[in-house]
Amino acid sequence: MPLLEVRQVSKQFGGVRAVHEVSFEVVAGEIVGLMGANGAGKTTLLALIAGQVIPDSGDVLFEQHSLRGMTSDAVCRRGIARAFQIVKPFAGMSVLDNLITAAYFGPIALRSREQAESHCRDVLDEFALTDVAERLASSLTLSEQKRLELARAVASGAKLLLIDEVMAGLTPTEVAAMLERLRAVHARRQLTMIVIEHVMQALMRLADRIVVLHHGECIAQGAPAEVARDARVLEVYFGEAA
Amino acid sequence: MSRAVQTIVVAIAVMLALLGMPHLGSDYATGIALNVMMWIALVESWSVLSAMTGYVSLGHAVFYGLGAYVVVASWEHLPLYASIPLAGVAGVLFAAAVGSPVMRVRGPYFVILTFGVAELVKYAVLAYESASGVASRILFNGPELNTLYYLMLALAVLAYAIMAVVSNSRFGHGLRAIRENEEAAQSVGVPVVRYKSIAFMLSAWVPAMVGGVMATRSTYFEATQVFDPMVSVTIIAMALIGGGDNARGPLLGVLFLSLLSELLWVNAPQVYMIILGVVLVIFVLLMPEGILGRLARRREGRAHAAT
Repeated sequence: MPLLEVRQVSKQFGGVRAVHEVSFEVVAGEIVGLMGANGAGKTTLLALIAGQVIPDSGDVLFEQHSLRGMTSDAVCRRGIARAFQIVKPFAGMSVLDNLITAAYFGPIALRSREQAESHCRDVLDEFALTDVAERLASSLTLSEQKRLELARAVASGAKLLLIDEVMAGLTPTEVAAMLERLRAVHARRQLTMIVIEHVMQALMRLADRIVVLHHGECIAQGAPAEVARDARVLEVYFGEAA
Repeated sequence: MSRAVQTIVVAIAVMLALLGMPHLGSDYATGIALNVMMWIALVESWSVLSAMTGYVSLGHAVFYGLGAYVVVASWEHLPLYASIPLAGVAGVLFAAAVGSPVMRVRGPYFVILTFGVAELVKYAVLAYESASGVASRILFNGPELNTLYYLMLALAVLAYAIMAVVSNSRFGHGLRAIRENEEAAQSVGVPVVRYKSIAFMLSAWVPAMVGGVMATRSTYFEATQVFDPMVSVTIIAMALIGGGDNARGPLLGVLFLSLLSELLWVNAPQVYMIILGVVLVIFVLLMPEGILGRLARRREGRAHAAT
């Protein structure tokens, strides 16, 4: 039984078909990679799932429940958290308090400060942020901010993480470390993930399955090796000659 | 003595002094104390919304004015112990009605909108009053100064307690998240629409009752006087000087500004407003984080130096 079902979802911005009749499923525990050129509709698709953008048609089901009409906070409390491409830390709060916000209000819904703090210190440890726990989020480096963005989503206790380009702007060493970290968190916390990534090698190594978007439409999905051989994908990426 | 015990002892001493105030000092002193209590009640309430969520209201005079109007309109029909709570209810209901549309806009738009709503209500009341033929009302048999003082003391304590509880609660944590990044707050599950609207209603409650109490201090009622935009502006000035997003900041700001303006008013009535203006400018330029913020930073600096 799938954890998430995206059914024929469409979204148009003015004359632009950002996402057009996209359908796919995500099984619990899977890591699904979203691939596609700039403007293919990847980020919009994540926003549609997270309830930040309302679809024109189609439906998204999480654990068999339709998310239609839910605001993004309600979607999160159901179990879906999003890490943004452009990081959105609570700049004036400490790193620890950033995570505590997620632990208070996310699906894990811890009520006491003590419980929330011990839960969050665990997560900080997983993302190598323990040393900066008391620092203001605004004082972090880009690499630390990216980790904070992810750590906060994990701290919410969500089952499904929507991860938008957390490797963008990182050095190759940092990308490798981040990959390791994502795998470790995924295994330890039995999370399900949908990952957008431009660093293609990283995505191919991380994902169990890849969904390819092109001009808002889903043109292929399957295991990374299959997708890499798919005729339409090759055509889109390398032109007719391939 | 541990810190907690010290705090409790100081709090009890302050409370006893405040309770004994009318019997110790002159009417002049009680009048000043009443004023200080009024500003504490207003600024603490304003902080629940504006210091916590970053939605800066420039329209809190509207709650004060509505509360005053409720008490005045029910004068000779209802006793004060009924009309003042009723004023509070009116403030909360008004906040509930305008809260969700008004809180759709952020930043400077919210500031201007709250100011506009307050002015709108002022002129609506003014128009209604003159249409119904009561341009200004005269109030007989108002309560005496000491009674007003005790009522106001109770409201100040109530507002302080609300802010103290909110700023240390999970609810308060959610409000701060809204201030820091509303979209991110919503995406980690903070029910932003509900929280903003609750904060708005909470911050309207006490100010409406304050307006109700203050209405009886004057022997007449005029809409332009109780819906005075200077009330809204002074609240912000005091909150800014105090700084911080807990219950102590407003106390510092209120004490500083109200005592300073009292001193200036007595000693330099001609240049009083000028000096006050200069003080405000200095604060905005040199200490935008307020007294409390500056103290916190110095403490942090010392802690860093120690490690």
